Amino acid sequence: MTDSVASDPKRRELEELLPFYANGRLAAADGARIEAALATDADLAARLEIIRDDMAETVLLNEQLGAPSPRALDRLMAGIEAQAQPAPLLARATDGLGKGFIGWLGGLLAAQAPRRLAYAGACAAALIVLQGVAITGLALRDAGGGYRTASAPGSHATERYVLLSFAPEARAGEIAAFFKRFDASVVDGPRANGFFKVRVGDASLSDAQVDAIAARMKAESGIVSFVAAAP
Amino acid sequence: MHTESDEDLVKRIASGDRLAMKVLFSRHQVRVYRFVLRLVRDETLAEDVIGDVFMDLWRQADRFEGRASVATWLLAIARNKAWSQLRKRRDAALDDDYAANLEDESDGPEIVLQKQDKGLAIRACLERLSAEHREVVDLVYYHETSVEETARIVGIPENTVKTRLFHARKKLGEMLKAAGIDRGWP
Repeated sequence: MTDSVASDPKRRELEELLPFYANGRLAAADGARIEAALATDADLAARLEIIRDDMAETVLLNEQLGAPSPRALDRLMAGIEAQAQPAPLLARATDGLGKGFIGWLGGLLAAQAPRRLAYAGACAAALIVLQGVAITGLALRDAGGGYRTASAPGSHATERYVLLSFAPEARAGEIAAFFKRFDASVVDGPRANGFFKVRVGDASLSDAQVDAIAARMKAESGIVSFVAAAP
Repeated sequence: MHTESDEDLVKRIASGDRLAMKVLFSRHQVRVYRFVLRLVRDETLAEDVIGDVFMDLWRQADRFEGRASVATWLLAIARNKAWSQLRKRRDAALDDDYAANLEDESDGPEIVLQKQDKGLAIRACLERLSAEHREVVDLVYYHETSVEETARIVGIPENTVKTRLFHARKKLGEMLKAAGIDRGWP
């Protein structure tokens, strides 16, 4: 059967606008053209009724789909914490300091490829951690070897941590799954160098066990760019 | 009560404001999720996709120029990510095959049951449209997008939006006719 509306270019043009007339998103001039046509064209009016039926059922169908679980926001925020934006931090730093050293450094960093920056950052961070380990070792040796906390003599940490940074290409979902896999959680960070302090278990874990966890984490090079056991 | 506009929230997000991110997420998550879910048809995957969508927003908020609404921007990102997943699963072709074969099922018990409720039958046929047709129908009928917004989200010319929706509506009518519900068109 011939579609009398579709075969008439003028009516076809109006017919194709009917869905947008029905959803209220048509420009006023087009809306007026549709209303004028509907007053005299019964076929067009019948099409509009069909569209309104379909629209009502489409709304019902979509409303029945429910909503994402509350975990979606938690995972997103964890991902954001794990991938803190460097640009606003740099912008805040330059706000107060003008175009001096920070401005020069910002320009230099901005000119580098992201992957090169990531490698350079990881190397710099590794160097800082090594220096920290060396200085801590010297301090402990000077103190006679025994480990003491600053707050309470005799007390000890109740949790074990690693320090890590994420690969630039790691995605939010992958990071969230990574935390789930290792039953780990961020307790601090991101620090200025992009590192996070991550809880990996309680105090019952031995140094060897924490090292083993760090090694397993490090094997996930698509997600993590640096991992080391942390105090 | 003053409600901050989406555009203002995006400006705050561009400066690293996490609270603004939570507000914007809460405001748009359901619609974006439903749009994605209708395409990928997998709740877990849809949640992953919206996580990626809002993470992109977090990363690119400073690039938002306001030429389209924030909702349109989010749906466009969501659409790209959903189709990327669909391409990975190669489900799009399966959808088309399924829709093409629907007429063979017209005498099945499911359709006979649906004849008792026209609304139920329409919803069943809406589910069986191809992914390309589903997305334009959902955008215009549920998300109430204009021709221009639909074109921007789907990434096609405005005239193509109109013709694609026309063909989606026609297909829907043909499916219903095959199921025994004749609405006079097509």
